[in-house]
Amino acid sequence: MDKNSSTHERFIETAKNGKILANKCKNCGKVMLETMYYCSGCSKSDFEFVEFPGIGTVVTHTIQSVAPEGFEDVNSYAWVVFKLNDAPFSASGFLPGIKIPSDLPIGSTVSVKGYDAKHGLTLEKQAD
Amino acid sequence: MVNSVCVLGAGSTRYGKLSQSVIELGLDAAKGAIDSAGITPKDIQAGYISNVFGVADKQVHMAPVLMSNLGIPHIPGLTIESACGSGSVMFREAYANVAAGFYDCVLAVGVEKVTHTGTALSTTLFSYCSDFFYEGGNGASFPGLFASIARAYLTKYKATEEDLAHVAVKNHENGLLNPKAHIRKRITVDDVLNSPVVASPLKVYDCCPFSDGASAVILCSEDFAKKNGNNYVKVIGSGRGGSPAAVQSREDITTIPSTLIAANQAYKMAGVTPKDIDFAEVHDCFTIAEIIDIEDLGFFKKGTGGIAAKEGITRRNGEIPINPSGGLKSKGHPIGATGVGQVVEVFEQFTGAAGERTVENAEIALTHNFGATGASAAVHIFQKV
Repeated sequence: MDKNSSTHERFIETAKNGKILANKCKNCGKVMLETMYYCSGCSKSDFEFVEFPGIGTVVTHTIQSVAPEGFEDVNSYAWVVFKLNDAPFSASGFLPGIKIPSDLPIGSTVSVKGYDAKHGLTLEKQAD
Repeated sequence: MVNSVCVLGAGSTRYGKLSQSVIELGLDAAKGAIDSAGITPKDIQAGYISNVFGVADKQVHMAPVLMSNLGIPHIPGLTIESACGSGSVMFREAYANVAAGFYDCVLAVGVEKVTHTGTALSTTLFSYCSDFFYEGGNGASFPGLFASIARAYLTKYKATEEDLAHVAVKNHENGLLNPKAHIRKRITVDDVLNSPVVASPLKVYDCCPFSDGASAVILCSEDFAKKNGNNYVKVIGSGRGGSPAAVQSREDITTIPSTLIAANQAYKMAGVTPKDIDFAEVHDCFTIAEIIDIEDLGFFKKGTGGIAAKEGITRRNGEIPINPSGGLKSKGHPIGATGVGQVVEVFEQFTGAAGERTVENAEIALTHNFGATGASAAVHIFQKV
């Protein structure tokens, strides 16, 4: 991992491989999103990178009728908050192809498919 | 120890789709507040402005323009932005400066002008108030973010979309009595449930409108208010709090941490509890928000706020009236003005200017306003004099 790249660039490059990049505090061991500059537990700023598989469980989601700029080209999608199976935090992303809420019950499994320059963190639904 | 601070005057434009510029709106509200307070601009020692999307009406650095047009160009002003909570956060800063003794009399103006940009651009502009890298950048609109909160709440507490609908019906009922409300229209639960889906599970009538408008108040020391001789309202509690900016980073999506923090500070400062509050103006940008607000503010236990509107507890003549003005839902939500507009409502209620929507025998009131999905919040408590 290139420590000279920006936090967002590192997060994006990791997501392109289907993973979520996190920071692990070297002082207290707390694990948090990699975009954090200071530990939310002990306020130290000495971290090591940890990569987690981008697989998790849907906590909540929505399907919008009016999409914000840049998403008008997508027929129907869900914006999803999902709890990572192997990390102590949640992430959120864009899941195309979801038309009605019953297409994505709470508790469904999703995984990070990649990172799209236009649509951000892109997810896919895993088979039940 | 802080100095006692009062609201001495209040003014507001109508909220809605308005033709005036953002500066004209701000000046109209400011003049209303100055005239209401029985002062002249020469009495004002500082100006505080709240606004978010001034750039959409080709005006940033708004404070000096407003002060210049009030004929007091040498009086310092500043503009504060905290998304939909800008008005209350700005009010807090104005309050703090008077309480600290820096000024005896200040003008606080909240203003927004956004409807001319259209629904698509407005939706995009509002998404910039999110933690954009994680939310707006992944396709979340503001209705979408609150819809995800609503889905989590309905799932966790077995509440229903009908519970949400009752909030909209109640606030529209109140808004009918407010001549400055954006949407003055009686609606039914069926109207809400049958309205088009904006972001599931939220429908059109679960959402506040995009509004233009401005509200302003005059804050002053109690000594200044007593010398002035006009009616005034005392600010007895003030609190501010923060939450993780992104919804994904909250341990419990069904509560707003900033509200809890701000409310605790304000209650403690005022020396009152939720049971002492006679009515509240809360941030009901979406119906789910009001339900979460009234729980976080301590009026209802967690998970039980869904029945409040349905059972009439939060109606204007209920045990704890919520949003007698019509709230953001009916009165409208010009986001830079909303927090100040809530104070205007309290001032009008406590000075006999609320007409048909007066909450009888009210003496202590609370305002609650937050930015974005509650990343920032402010709570204030007022006492009738």
